[in-house]
Amino acid sequence: MSNAHMLPHYPEGTVRTLLTTDLVTEATRQALTDRLNAPLREPTFFSADDFALLDAVCNRLIPQDEQEKRIPVAEGIDERLSKNTTNGWRYDSMPNDGDAFKLGLKGINESALVIFQQPFLNLSGDQQDQILKAVQVMEAPGEVWQNLPADRFFEELLAEAVENYYSHPVAQEEIGYVGMADTPGWKRLGLNQLEDREPRMATD
Amino acid sequence: MPYKTSEIVDAVVIGTGAGGAPLLARLAQAGLKVVALEAGKQWNPAHDFPTDEKAQAKLFWNDERLSAGNDPIPFGSNNSGTGVGGSTLHYTAYTPRAQPDDLRIRTEFGVGEDWPFSFDQLEPYYDEVEQFLGVSGPSPYPWGPARKQAYALGPLPVNGAGQLMERGCKEVGIKTSPAANAALSAGYYQEGVGHRPACANRGFCQAGCNIGAKASMDVTYIPLAVHYGAEIRPECFVTQLVKSPAGILSEVVYMRNGQEERQRCRFVFLCAGTIETARLLLLNDLANSSGQVGRNVMAHPGLQIWGEFDEDIRPYKGIPGALISEDMHRPADADFVGGYLLQSIGVMPVTYVSQMARGRGLWGQDLKRAALAYNHVAGINILGDCLPYDHNYLELSDEKDIRGLPKPRIYFSNGESEERMTAHANKVMRAIWGAAGARNIWAFPRNAHVIGTCRMGNDASTAVVNANGQSFDIPNLYISDNSTFPSALSVNPALTIMALALRTADRFLEQWK
Ligand SMILES: Cc1cc2nc3c(=O)[nH]c(=O)nc-3n(C[C@H](O)[C@H](O)[C@H](O)COP(=O)(O)OP(=O)(O)OC[C@H]3O[C@@H](n4cnc5c(N)ncnc54)[C@H](O)[C@@H]3O)c2cc1C
Ligand code: SF4
Repeated sequence: MSNAHMLPHYPEGTVRTLLTTDLVTEATRQALTDRLNAPLREPTFFSADDFALLDAVCNRLIPQDEQEKRIPVAEGIDERLSKNTTNGWRYDSMPNDGDAFKLGLKGINESALVIFQQPFLNLSGDQQDQILKAVQVMEAPGEVWQNLPADRFFEELLAEAVENYYSHPVAQEEIGYVGMADTPGWKRLGLNQLEDREPRMATD
Repeated sequence: MPYKTSEIVDAVVIGTGAGGAPLLARLAQAGLKVVALEAGKQWNPAHDFPTDEKAQAKLFWNDERLSAGNDPIPFGSNNSGTGVGGSTLHYTAYTPRAQPDDLRIRTEFGVGEDWPFSFDQLEPYYDEVEQFLGVSGPSPYPWGPARKQAYALGPLPVNGAGQLMERGCKEVGIKTSPAANAALSAGYYQEGVGHRPACANRGFCQAGCNIGAKASMDVTYIPLAVHYGAEIRPECFVTQLVKSPAGILSEVVYMRNGQEERQRCRFVFLCAGTIETARLLLLNDLANSSGQVGRNVMAHPGLQIWGEFDEDIRPYKGIPGALISEDMHRPADADFVGGYLLQSIGVMPVTYVSQMARGRGLWGQDLKRAALAYNHVAGINILGDCLPYDHNYLELSDEKDIRGLPKPRIYFSNGESEERMTAHANKVMRAIWGAAGARNIWAFPRNAHVIGTCRMGNDASTAVVNANGQSFDIPNLYISDNSTFPSALSVNPALTIMALALRTADRFLEQWK
């Protein structure tokens, strides 16, 4: 918390407060409140080990160490794969989503063992980043990456992690988004024209 | 009005999007017994459309498609929708008209294909659709032939992104104008449809509009069709078109609640969109004596340029596409075929950040920092013509979907013309954003809107349907959707799809009624 406050930031609680007002529609309140209060979920698609690895990877992609409320990023991926739903497409060069994730996680661990002789989970944050960077630019060593396009895997994983994170009300507070508070409509549309309910950035 | 499946109805319309809904309304108005089969659900906007991106992913066609080629097309959120209303449920509702020379690419450039008729055949339908939907826009509109009729309503207010684009364009000498958009700038009443309220500027058009201000088909042509007696059957997924020994279609087979049902009919109008229309024809081995079904897949070059500004923009406010320029319709220094238009873009947060992750490859603290600038970002994008190529096509893969039907595989690679156009636009848009004061400018290359696969033309050996949308092989099969465009046009497609749908309906009625 301490040094986060040195940087400009949006006040906390903006979205959570709006959700209790009639500035949001009932349908919107329902969707966001459900997400906010979702109970912790045990993985049902991944094994416990794979899930721990995925969780650690997601935490490097979108760090949450300093956060008071943890947003369930890896859990969202597990949930989707359990339900076997897709986002409507995949790269033809990739296997189906479930296999791609299992293989990709195996590949990440394999690269960690080749480079640091340690499983990914035992590495420091910097070392983990080094592995992930190598995957992203297709320079990660290991058997898996001979068959699975590393850059595509990384892109898909990152995009899904990001979608899970930024659709959460707490992350939306972080970036000062209050578009959900739209029942009165928006009248002040121009540059630097804010309505009362739009949060201002502060340095304090 | 529910019809019996044992009854022989006049027409079955498959799909209720931009191509299906206007045609459905026209046939019903003419007194025909028509049934629309729609794979997706019938939504109730007020209850089913929260202002939340994730909750609205249900509006996209989320059955998996395989994307191949050098520039694989992202489907789902970027491309196609489902539900009564089709992709118009979540289109951004830009509704520019094509210009006359868009229909004559081959004549003008010696490549691509001409349309089998000229602009004057579409013009009265453009007028009609714009008035019916209640399109908001400036009159006079600065580009293209003089309009016979002013837009139904005045332009919508210009948001932050639009104001910045205006500022940058003025600096570099590009003319701009408020865009034409099928969201209502004032309340609107239509006989057979009822009253629709003005747009509340909630910037959420790329998902469902919860108040009905955006002219999606479910609040415009569908109620009109129902008013005239059409039956809409949602959650009916068509799998088969049955051909009688006489060589014409006699019934349509579909799945409802896990059960197979059949509807007998005299005519079939296939309006399932570029991908599903071609897939259905290939699955049933129909209407393909030309070998052209699934061929000529096109997708508009849609490069976006994003930048961060000192100004507070709040990109979630106002219709996403507020400002337009068609000055690049035929730029003097072009080294490519056709042209493109420029549009300002506002954006919802999850869409923006996930594009940034894909486009800039940012993650970790870099990503969080860049996401923190969300309230200060604005974009411009292009939409440009795309040529048909042999290397871009759809085929059935060996992989099966949940119904046991083969998933489609779509090959797409931009050609030299599209790449040159994108490079040209990259320079132009960076100059505009530079002049407007943007920092951290970055480019997101993409292709938007799939077009083609069942081309229309005058020659049965190179086209799937004739100029009236009628199959060359099967006289009682018509196609009305994105798939029949012989060329991609340099504008967003929906308005033209609707205009063409009405023309197809009128031609059909003249011939058969
Ligand atoms: C995010 C987004 C933004 C867009 N913005 C714009 C814009 O600003 N301006 C513009 O002009 N265009 C825009 N478009 C494109 C526009 O929406 C489409 O080009 C247009 O809707 C296509 O019309 P169509 O009739 O071909 O198909 P669709 O509108 O997609 O309709 C096809 C329908 O057929 C149904 N269907 C498919 N298969 C079957 C089957 N087997 N059985 C039964 N039903 C079936 C589908 O469920 C769907 O409802 C946008 C698209 C997207 C995705
Ligand atoms: S911006 Fe207007 S038209 Fe678009 S979704 Fe919101 S209210 Fe509807």
